[in-house]
Amino acid sequence: MSHPARRRSQGPRRLWHDGRRPLSEISEFSCESCGSQVQVEAHLRTTTCPYCASPAVIERPRGGGRPQPTFVLAFILPNEAALAAARRWVRRAWLAKEAFRKAKVEALRGIYVPAYLFSAAAHADYTAQIGENYQETYTTTDSKGRTVTRTRTKTEWHTLSGRYAAYVSDVVVTASRGIPNDELEGIEPFDLRALHRYSPRLLSGWIAEEASMAAAECRQLAIDEALAEVQQRIARMLPGDKQRGLQVSAKLDALDQELVLVPVWVLPVRWGEAPEQVVRVLVNGQSGAVFGKAPRSWVKIIALVLVIAGLIVGGWLLGQHR
Amino acid sequence: MANTADAAPPPCGRCHSPIELGDLRCAVCGLPTPAELAAAVATKIEFLRCEGCGAAVSYDVKAQAPKCSFCDSVMHVETPDDPVEEARASLPFAIDDEAAKVGLRAWLGTLGFFRPSDLQSSATIGELKPLWWVGWVFDAEVLVSWAADSEVGSRRARWAPHAGQREVHFRKVLVPASRGLTSDECRAIAEGYRLETQGPPPEPRPGALVERFDVQRSAARVVIAEALERAAAGQAADWVPGSRMRKLKIAVLPRRLTSDRLAFPAYVLAYRYRGKLYRAVVNGQNAGVVTGKAPYSVAKILLVSLGSVALVAIIVAIIAAAS
Repeated sequence: MSHPARRRSQGPRRLWHDGRRPLSEISEFSCESCGSQVQVEAHLRTTTCPYCASPAVIERPRGGGRPQPTFVLAFILPNEAALAAARRWVRRAWLAKEAFRKAKVEALRGIYVPAYLFSAAAHADYTAQIGENYQETYTTTDSKGRTVTRTRTKTEWHTLSGRYAAYVSDVVVTASRGIPNDELEGIEPFDLRALHRYSPRLLSGWIAEEASMAAAECRQLAIDEALAEVQQRIARMLPGDKQRGLQVSAKLDALDQELVLVPVWVLPVRWGEAPEQVVRVLVNGQSGAVFGKAPRSWVKIIALVLVIAGLIVGGWLLGQHR
Repeated sequence: MANTADAAPPPCGRCHSPIELGDLRCAVCGLPTPAELAAAVATKIEFLRCEGCGAAVSYDVKAQAPKCSFCDSVMHVETPDDPVEEARASLPFAIDDEAAKVGLRAWLGTLGFFRPSDLQSSATIGELKPLWWVGWVFDAEVLVSWAADSEVGSRRARWAPHAGQREVHFRKVLVPASRGLTSDECRAIAEGYRLETQGPPPEPRPGALVERFDVQRSAARVVIAEALERAAAGQAADWVPGSRMRKLKIAVLPRRLTSDRLAFPAYVLAYRYRGKLYRAVVNGQNAGVVTGKAPYSVAKILLVSLGSVALVAIIVAIIAAAS
């Protein structure tokens, strides 16, 4: 077998898996610094020459279903700070298994993750039941049989119909099959004020992934997120003392979605012995927000529930004694 | 292409607000701008920011050293990628240093009874610094959605809910962007400016500070949207039925939002009264518009409160005696 990095080839080379579907499409190019052949996998936009460590960014021709990023959010949080944030998060996962909390936290990688930045104008009609409180005085007899006047708070309900219109402009949804949307949401928000127009220079030396989800699929995710946000905003707008039964019928106009590369520190935390397990921890490359799915320790959770239940029962018994 | 530099980009496709060269997204609705616009921008602006008080200021050519006029500390340099807003035009100074000092002294005499009697005569006016502070002045067509409680339609409770939507045309709404002056100071002296006198952006001149906008253009959207909501809330009394309201909430959808970035002339003065230093700001076009801090007369306040207590005591005594 020839050494792949040394093999001269023209254009992309395909590797086939199972003889049925392409495993990955590998591009080869010659390093501008040392002239050696460097391989780049299809799902990546950047690479580093293994011989001279020169960073490279790949500009693939447009079309072919691979969208060009419009914007980049650059890394602000340095490696050490991200590592410290991840370590803190792992150590403080109080309800996680002990082996996980003691796991080694090292070797994290900065990745530009593809995501779609979605914006639209939202118009909505809504109806809701709005409760307005008032005080009512009533007479009753107390324990000694005397007639007393007391006040109680009552609520009268009104049906409110209204309209809402605003822009929903900062919805970010994943475009990477590797990082599901709920994980990306876990480390949002990103500071969109720091947006840069896409330039290969911003990616140099970092790992940048190509969008691997179809634009239409991401669009639906974004629409769902935008509609949920409109619903929340209307819920916050409602007057009155109590609110219930909010019904929103919203439509989105002038939709737009742009591919943006967002900075994420990715860190696989390996824990446990035979079999070793891996939990992926993500750190926002701007804000340092951490997300991960720590393995829950049911022993600890049950113990905590028992302690809380014990405190409640104890408090109740104490109250009964007085 | 001979005059690419002069060609204004087409307005935003979604909200029809003007787009400026170098905008990555529409400042109003967040729609990304076509990529070609970015290529036309070659120059980056560099700006200085004071380490002491955070005011963003220009390099002072005359002083040859980056020194903050507000707190005298040294500044460091920052180069933003997202363009920082710059004043497009400025209003000229219409009064000189002397007139500003006269204006301040006149103002000290108008502050009312609770100020020291000799404030106007004994205050020593010290350093005076001319400066241009910056702000947006915008016009917009806004679809305002509102919801609030008012007394109309209420039954046993005091309140009943109402909601509505209406088109409002805002004209010449001022949003201060100064960091050296507070928003309250800016609004207090804003009324004396004559917008029709605007000319080219201010030239640096010895001793005069030209403030920079402290926000990048992409962040201006939030500032302007908040200002729109404030402006709409100010008019809400006209739409919400009845005379009382509570829990007013506003949502805005602006269209054709045009904002102008202006530099407004003002004098920042320091005056001393009984060893303490106070700051005041005088409108650079009208010496009659002044705002600032001033001391209270503790003796007068004490006298009045004691007097009122005594008065109440006398009245109570009289009533007690009469009954």
